[in-house]
Amino acid sequence: MKRTAQIALLDALENQVELHLEEAIRTFQNLPVEIALKPATNGGWSIAQCLEHLNTYGDFYLPEIAKALHGNQIVDSDPQFKSGWLGHYFTHMMQPGSGKKMKAFKNHIPADHPDAPRVIATFIQQQEILLQYLRLARQADLHKRLPISISKLIRLQLGDVFQFVIAHNERHIQQAKRHL
Amino acid sequence: MEAALQQLKTLVEATFPLPPDAWNALAAIWQPGSAKRKEILTAAGAVEKYLYFITSGVQRVCYFDENTREATLVFTYAPSFGGVLDSLLLAKPARYSFETLTQSTFLRANASDLKAVMQQHPAVLEMVHTGVTHALSGVLERLVELQAFSSEEKFRKLLQRSPHILQLVPHKYLANYLGIDPTNFSKLINRVQL
Repeated sequence: MKRTAQIALLDALENQVELHLEEAIRTFQNLPVEIALKPATNGGWSIAQCLEHLNTYGDFYLPEIAKALHGNQIVDSDPQFKSGWLGHYFTHMMQPGSGKKMKAFKNHIPADHPDAPRVIATFIQQQEILLQYLRLARQADLHKRLPISISKLIRLQLGDVFQFVIAHNERHIQQAKRHL
Repeated sequence: MEAALQQLKTLVEATFPLPPDAWNALAAIWQPGSAKRKEILTAAGAVEKYLYFITSGVQRVCYFDENTREATLVFTYAPSFGGVLDSLLLAKPARYSFETLTQSTFLRANASDLKAVMQQHPAVLEMVHTGVTHALSGVLERLVELQAFSSEEKFRKLLQRSPHILQLVPHKYLANYLGIDPTNFSKLINRVQL
Protein backbone atom coordinates (compact mmCIF):
# COMPACT_ATOMS: atom_id res chain seq x y z
CA MET A 1 0.00 0.00 0.00
CA LYS A 2 1.41 3.35 -0.88
CA ARG A 3 1.77 6.29 1.45
CA THR A 4 -0.67 9.11 1.00
CA ALA A 5 -0.60 12.61 2.39
CA GLN A 6 -2.48 12.55 5.65
CA ILE A 7 -4.18 15.89 5.21
CA ALA A 8 -5.45 15.03 1.74
CA LEU A 9 -6.83 11.74 3.03
CA LEU A 10 -8.59 13.39 5.95
CA ASP A 11 -9.97 16.13 3.70
CA ALA A 12 -11.47 13.50 1.42
CA LEU A 13 -12.96 11.64 4.40
CA GLU A 14 -14.40 14.86 5.80
CA ASN A 15 -16.03 15.62 2.47
CA GLN A 16 -17.63 12.17 2.49
CA VAL A 17 -19.02 12.62 5.98
CA GLU A 18 -20.30 16.07 5.04
CA LEU A 19 -22.20 14.52 2.13
CA HIS A 20 -23.64 11.83 4.40
CA LEU A 21 -24.79 14.50 6.81
CA GLU A 22 -26.40 16.54 4.07
CA GLU A 23 -28.29 13.48 2.87
CA ALA A 24 -29.47 12.56 6.34
CA ILE A 25 -30.55 16.11 7.15
CA ARG A 26 -32.19 16.92 3.85
CA THR A 27 -33.94 13.60 3.34
CA PHE A 28 -33.86 10.95 6.06
CA GLN A 29 -34.81 13.08 9.05
CA ASN A 30 -37.81 14.52 7.18
CA LEU A 31 -39.27 11.22 6.04
CA PRO A 32 -42.64 10.16 7.40
CA VAL A 33 -41.96 7.43 9.95
CA GLU A 34 -43.79 4.76 7.91
CA ILE A 35 -41.46 5.29 4.98
CA ALA A 36 -38.37 5.11 7.17
CA LEU A 37 -39.64 1.79 8.57
CA LYS A 38 -40.73 0.20 5.32
CA PRO A 39 -38.75 -2.98 4.49
CA ALA A 40 -37.09 -3.12 1.09
CA THR A 41 -39.10 -4.72 -1.72
CA ASN A 42 -36.68 -7.66 -1.69
CA GLY A 43 -37.23 -8.13 2.06
CA GLY A 44 -34.04 -6.28 2.97
CA TRP A 45 -33.54 -3.64 5.65
CA SER A 46 -35.61 -0.49 5.92
CA ILE A 47 -33.94 2.93 5.91
CA ALA A 48 -34.12 3.00 9.71
CA GLN A 49 -32.55 -0.46 9.94
CA CYS A 50 -29.70 0.55 7.63
CA LEU A 51 -28.95 3.56 9.81
CA GLU A 52 -29.32 1.60 13.04
CA HIS A 53 -26.79 -0.90 11.71
CA LEU A 54 -24.42 2.01 11.08
CA ASN A 55 -25.11 3.39 14.56
CA THR A 56 -23.96 0.14 16.16
CA TYR A 57 -20.57 0.66 14.50
CA GLY A 58 -20.47 4.25 15.65
CA ASP A 59 -21.35 3.15 19.19
CA PHE A 60 -18.22 0.99 19.22
CA TYR A 61 -15.77 2.97 17.11
CA LEU A 62 -16.36 6.58 18.14
CA PRO A 63 -15.21 6.05 21.75
CA GLU A 64 -12.25 3.97 20.49
CA ILE A 65 -11.31 6.72 18.03
CA ALA A 66 -11.54 9.28 20.82
CA LYS A 67 -9.17 7.16 22.95
CA ALA A 68 -6.76 6.78 20.05
CA LEU A 69 -6.73 10.55 19.46
CA HIS A 70 -6.18 11.37 23.12
CA GLY A 71 -2.62 12.44 23.80
CA ASN A 72 -1.69 11.39 20.28
CA GLN A 73 -0.51 14.66 18.76
CA ILE A 74 2.41 14.66 16.34
CA VAL A 75 4.47 17.50 15.00
CA ASP A 76 5.06 16.83 11.34
CA SER A 77 4.58 19.36 8.60
CA ASP A 78 3.63 16.77 6.00
CA PRO A 79 2.50 13.58 7.72
CA GLN A 80 2.00 10.50 5.56
CA PHE A 81 -0.24 7.53 6.18
CA LYS A 82 0.22 3.98 4.97
CA SER A 83 -2.77 1.62 5.11
CA GLY A 84 -2.20 -1.80 6.61
CA TRP A 85 -3.16 -4.76 4.42
CA LEU A 86 -6.07 -5.76 6.67
CA GLY A 87 -7.37 -2.21 6.93
CA HIS A 88 -7.16 -1.90 3.19
CA TYR A 89 -9.00 -5.20 2.79
CA PHE A 90 -11.82 -4.20 5.15
CA THR A 91 -12.25 -0.85 3.44
CA HIS A 92 -12.26 -2.47 0.03
CA MET A 93 -14.92 -4.96 1.18
CA MET A 94 -17.12 -2.06 2.21
CA GLN A 95 -17.07 -0.30 -1.13
CA PRO A 96 -20.50 -0.34 -2.70
CA GLY A 97 -20.28 -2.53 -5.78
CA SER A 98 -17.55 -4.74 -4.34
CA GLY A 99 -20.06 -7.44 -5.17
CA LYS A 100 -19.99 -9.00 -1.72
CA LYS A 101 -23.24 -9.47 0.13
CA MET A 102 -22.43 -10.09 3.76
CA LYS A 103 -24.47 -11.10 6.76
CA ALA A 104 -24.20 -8.62 9.58
CA PHE A 105 -22.29 -9.74 12.67
CA LYS A 106 -24.38 -10.57 15.75
CA ASN A 107 -23.76 -7.35 17.62
CA HIS A 108 -24.52 -5.26 14.55
CA ILE A 109 -27.95 -6.57 13.59
CA PRO A 110 -30.64 -3.89 13.72
CA ALA A 111 -33.93 -4.36 15.58
CA ASP A 112 -37.04 -5.45 13.69
CA HIS A 113 -38.89 -2.27 14.69
CA PRO A 114 -36.43 0.51 15.38
CA ASP A 115 -37.46 3.91 16.76
CA ALA A 116 -36.91 5.63 13.40
CA PRO A 117 -36.67 9.29 14.50
CA ARG A 118 -34.27 8.35 17.29
CA VAL A 119 -32.13 6.20 15.02
CA ILE A 120 -31.86 8.94 12.40
CA ALA A 121 -31.07 11.58 15.02
CA THR A 122 -28.35 9.30 16.46
CA PHE A 123 -26.86 8.78 13.02
CA ILE A 124 -26.69 12.54 12.49
CA GLN A 125 -25.18 13.08 15.92
CA GLN A 126 -22.55 10.40 15.25
CA GLN A 127 -21.56 12.00 11.94
CA GLU A 128 -21.10 15.37 13.62
CA ILE A 129 -18.81 13.71 16.18
CA LEU A 130 -16.95 11.90 13.40
CA LEU A 131 -16.34 15.25 11.67
CA GLN A 132 -14.89 16.62 14.88
CA TYR A 133 -12.58 13.60 15.24
CA LEU A 134 -11.43 13.84 11.61
CA ARG A 135 -10.39 17.43 12.30
CA LEU A 136 -8.52 16.45 15.48
CA ALA A 137 -6.88 13.63 13.52
CA ARG A 138 -5.05 16.16 11.34
CA GLN A 139 -2.47 16.49 14.11
CA ALA A 140 -2.55 12.85 15.19
CA ASP A 141 -0.56 9.76 14.32
CA LEU A 142 -2.95 7.75 12.15
CA HIS A 143 -0.85 4.61 12.54
CA LYS A 144 -1.95 4.17 16.15
CA ARG A 145 -3.92 0.96 16.51
CA LEU A 146 -7.33 0.30 18.01
CA PRO A 147 -9.44 -2.83 18.42
CA ILE A 148 -12.16 -3.79 15.96
CA SER A 149 -15.72 -4.53 17.02
CA ILE A 150 -15.83 -8.13 15.90
CA SER A 151 -12.64 -9.38 17.53
CA LYS A 152 -10.57 -8.08 20.41
CA LEU A 153 -7.54 -9.84 18.94
CA ILE A 154 -7.39 -7.69 15.85
CA ARG A 155 -6.22 -4.09 15.95
CA LEU A 156 -6.42 -1.73 13.01
CA GLN A 157 -4.65 1.55 12.41
CA LEU A 158 -6.66 4.68 13.17
CA GLY A 159 -6.38 5.87 9.57
CA ASP A 160 -7.80 2.56 8.36
CA VAL A 161 -10.62 2.63 10.91
CA PHE A 162 -11.69 6.06 9.62
CA GLN A 163 -11.64 4.81 6.05
CA PHE A 164 -13.45 1.59 6.76
CA VAL A 165 -16.18 3.16 8.91
CA ILE A 166 -16.86 5.87 6.35
CA ALA A 167 -16.85 3.44 3.41
CA HIS A 168 -19.26 1.27 5.38
CA ASN A 169 -21.49 4.27 6.00
CA GLU A 170 -21.47 5.03 2.29
CA ARG A 171 -22.47 1.46 1.45
CA HIS A 172 -25.53 1.47 3.66
CA ILE A 173 -26.55 5.02 2.81
CA GLN A 174 -26.63 3.95 -0.83
CA GLN A 175 -28.74 1.00 0.27
CA ALA A 176 -31.10 3.31 2.20
CA LYS A 177 -31.39 5.69 -0.74
CA ARG A 178 -32.54 2.88 -2.98
CA HIS A 179 -35.81 2.96 -1.03
CA LEU A 180 -36.54 6.48 -2.25
CA MET B 1 -16.66 39.13 -2.76
CA GLU B 2 -18.43 41.33 -5.33
CA ALA B 3 -21.58 39.22 -5.22
CA ALA B 4 -21.53 39.21 -1.43
CA LEU B 5 -21.15 42.99 -1.28
CA GLN B 6 -24.03 43.26 -3.69
CA GLN B 7 -26.15 41.19 -1.30
CA LEU B 8 -25.17 43.52 1.52
CA LYS B 9 -25.97 46.54 -0.62
CA THR B 10 -29.40 45.13 -1.43
CA LEU B 11 -30.14 44.59 2.23
CA VAL B 12 -28.95 48.05 3.22
CA GLU B 13 -30.92 49.75 0.45
CA ALA B 14 -34.07 47.89 1.48
CA THR B 15 -33.79 48.62 5.18
CA PHE B 16 -31.77 51.79 5.69
CA PRO B 17 -30.51 53.48 2.49
CA LEU B 18 -27.18 55.27 2.92
CA PRO B 19 -25.75 58.26 1.07
CA PRO B 20 -23.02 57.15 -1.42
CA ASP B 21 -19.97 58.18 0.63
CA ALA B 22 -21.31 56.44 3.73
CA TRP B 23 -22.02 53.29 1.70
CA ASN B 24 -18.53 53.34 0.17
CA ALA B 25 -16.93 53.66 3.59
CA LEU B 26 -19.07 50.81 4.90
CA ALA B 27 -18.40 48.59 1.89
CA ALA B 28 -14.65 48.94 2.37
CA ILE B 29 -14.38 47.25 5.79
CA TRP B 30 -15.47 43.69 4.91
CA GLN B 31 -13.35 40.57 4.35
CA PRO B 32 -14.76 37.39 2.82
CA GLY B 33 -14.61 34.21 4.86
CA SER B 34 -15.94 30.69 5.03
CA ALA B 35 -16.28 27.90 7.55
CA LYS B 36 -17.14 24.22 7.55
CA ARG B 37 -20.04 22.64 9.41
CA LYS B 38 -19.87 22.85 13.23
CA GLU B 39 -17.07 25.36 13.41
CA ILE B 40 -17.07 27.73 16.32
CA LEU B 41 -16.65 31.25 14.95
CA THR B 42 -16.86 32.92 18.34
CA ALA B 43 -16.32 30.98 21.55
CA ALA B 44 -18.18 31.94 24.71
CA GLY B 45 -15.81 33.81 26.97
CA ALA B 46 -14.00 35.55 24.11
CA VAL B 47 -14.86 39.06 22.99
CA GLU B 48 -16.69 39.07 19.67
CA LYS B 49 -14.22 40.45 17.13
CA TYR B 50 -16.47 40.74 14.08
CA LEU B 51 -19.79 41.75 12.69
CA TYR B 52 -20.74 39.01 10.23
CA PHE B 53 -22.85 39.36 7.13
CA ILE B 54 -24.00 35.87 6.17
CA THR B 55 -24.06 34.94 2.50
CA SER B 56 -24.73 31.20 2.75
CA GLY B 57 -25.40 28.47 5.28
CA VAL B 58 -27.03 28.45 8.68
CA GLN B 59 -25.43 29.36 11.99
CA ARG B 60 -26.62 29.77 15.54
CA VAL B 61 -25.93 31.80 18.62
CA CYS B 62 -26.15 29.47 21.57
CA TYR B 63 -25.67 29.24 25.27
CA PHE B 64 -24.05 26.28 27.06
CA ASP B 65 -23.32 25.71 30.69
CA GLU B 66 -21.67 23.17 32.94
CA ASN B 67 -25.05 21.73 33.79
CA THR B 68 -25.31 20.66 30.14
CA ARG B 69 -28.09 23.17 29.59
CA GLU B 70 -28.12 24.32 26.01
CA ALA B 71 -30.17 27.13 24.53
CA THR B 72 -30.27 28.04 20.85
CA LEU B 73 -31.01 31.74 20.85
CA VAL B 74 -31.22 32.52 17.18
CA PHE B 75 -30.48 31.05 13.77
CA THR B 76 -28.74 33.27 11.27
CA TYR B 77 -28.63 32.80 7.51
CA ALA B 78 -28.37 34.85 4.32
CA PRO B 79 -28.93 37.70 3.93
CA SER B 80 -28.61 38.83 7.50
CA PHE B 81 -26.05 39.83 10.09
CA GLY B 82 -24.53 37.42 12.56
CA GLY B 83 -22.18 37.18 15.48
CA VAL B 84 -22.61 37.79 19.18
CA LEU B 85 -23.81 41.33 18.77
CA ASP B 86 -23.91 42.52 22.37
CA SER B 87 -20.37 41.32 22.96
CA LEU B 88 -19.24 43.13 19.80
CA LEU B 89 -20.85 46.45 20.61
CA LEU B 90 -20.03 46.40 24.33
CA ALA B 91 -16.54 44.97 23.75
CA LYS B 92 -17.24 42.53 26.58
CA PRO B 93 -16.66 38.75 26.68
CA ALA B 94 -19.47 36.88 24.97
CA ARG B 95 -21.80 34.82 27.13
CA TYR B 96 -22.79 32.83 24.07
CA SER B 97 -21.00 31.13 21.23
CA PHE B 98 -21.55 31.64 17.52
CA GLU B 99 -21.13 28.48 15.48
CA THR B 100 -21.92 27.20 12.02
CA LEU B 101 -24.52 24.46 11.66
CA THR B 102 -23.77 23.97 7.96
CA GLN B 103 -20.96 24.97 5.63
CA SER B 104 -21.10 28.75 5.55
CA THR B 105 -19.79 31.77 3.74
CA PHE B 106 -19.85 35.32 4.98
CA LEU B 107 -18.32 38.75 4.97
CA ARG B 108 -16.97 40.06 8.20
CA ALA B 109 -15.85 43.42 9.47
CA ASN B 110 -13.78 43.85 12.55
CA ALA B 111 -15.02 45.86 15.49
CA SER B 112 -12.54 48.74 15.23
CA ASP B 113 -13.11 49.28 11.51
CA LEU B 114 -16.85 49.24 12.09
CA LYS B 115 -16.55 51.72 14.96
CA ALA B 116 -14.45 54.04 12.82
CA VAL B 117 -17.03 54.08 10.01
CA MET B 118 -19.81 54.66 12.52
CA GLN B 119 -17.92 57.62 13.96
CA GLN B 120 -17.06 59.14 10.59
CA HIS B 121 -20.51 58.67 9.03
CA PRO B 122 -23.56 59.50 11.18
CA ALA B 123 -25.78 57.73 8.64
CA VAL B 124 -23.98 54.44 9.37
CA LEU B 125 -24.27 55.04 13.09
CA GLU B 126 -28.00 55.55 12.63
CA MET B 127 -28.23 52.42 10.50
CA VAL B 128 -26.57 50.31 13.17
CA HIS B 129 -28.82 51.86 15.81
CA THR B 130 -31.90 50.98 13.77
CA GLY B 131 -30.58 47.49 13.13
CA VAL B 132 -29.99 46.84 16.80
CA THR B 133 -33.49 48.13 17.61
CA HIS B 134 -34.99 45.71 15.08
CA ALA B 135 -32.96 42.94 16.69
CA LEU B 136 -34.47 43.94 20.02
CA SER B 137 -37.98 43.79 18.50
CA GLY B 138 -37.18 40.32 17.26
CA VAL B 139 -36.07 39.20 20.71
CA LEU B 140 -39.21 40.59 22.35
CA GLU B 141 -41.38 38.81 19.79
CA ARG B 142 -39.56 35.57 20.46
CA LEU B 143 -40.00 35.98 24.21
CA VAL B 144 -43.75 36.16 23.67
CA GLU B 145 -43.65 33.01 21.55
CA LEU B 146 -41.60 31.10 24.06
CA GLN B 147 -43.89 32.03 26.94
CA ALA B 148 -47.31 31.99 25.37
CA PHE B 149 -47.34 29.88 22.20
CA SER B 150 -48.03 26.15 21.97
CA SER B 151 -45.31 23.93 20.52
CA GLU B 152 -47.24 23.69 17.29
CA GLU B 153 -47.64 27.47 17.01
CA LYS B 154 -43.94 28.02 17.70
CA PHE B 155 -43.07 25.44 15.08
CA ARG B 156 -45.32 27.05 12.47
CA LYS B 157 -43.81 30.45 13.24
CA LEU B 158 -40.32 29.04 12.71
CA LEU B 159 -41.32 27.53 9.36
CA GLN B 160 -42.89 30.83 8.36
CA ARG B 161 -39.63 32.65 9.04
CA SER B 162 -37.39 29.94 7.59
CA PRO B 163 -39.29 27.50 5.35
CA HIS B 164 -36.23 25.46 4.36
CA ILE B 165 -34.69 25.04 7.74
CA LEU B 166 -35.99 21.48 8.19
CA GLN B 167 -33.87 20.36 5.24
CA LEU B 168 -30.76 22.27 6.27
CA VAL B 169 -30.29 21.72 9.96
CA PRO B 170 -30.49 18.62 12.22
CA HIS B 171 -33.81 18.58 14.04
CA LYS B 172 -32.19 18.56 17.45
CA TYR B 173 -31.19 22.23 16.99
CA LEU B 174 -34.72 23.18 15.97
CA ALA B 175 -36.14 21.33 18.96
CA ASN B 176 -33.68 23.12 21.20
CA TYR B 177 -34.62 26.50 19.69
CA LEU B 178 -38.30 25.82 20.30
CA GLY B 179 -37.73 24.57 23.83
CA ILE B 180 -39.12 21.12 22.98
CA ASP B 181 -37.40 17.82 23.59
CA PRO B 182 -36.36 15.96 20.42
CA THR B 183 -38.87 13.11 20.81
CA ASN B 184 -41.81 15.50 21.05
CA PHE B 185 -40.38 17.45 18.16
CA SER B 186 -40.41 14.34 15.94
CA LYS B 187 -44.03 13.69 16.87
CA LEU B 188 -44.82 17.33 16.11
CA ILE B 189 -43.26 17.13 12.65
CA ASN B 190 -45.13 13.98 11.74
CA ARG B 191 -48.35 15.65 12.83
CA VAL B 192 -47.84 19.04 11.23
CA GLN B 193 -46.21 18.03 7.95
CA LEU B 194 -49.06 15.87 6.69
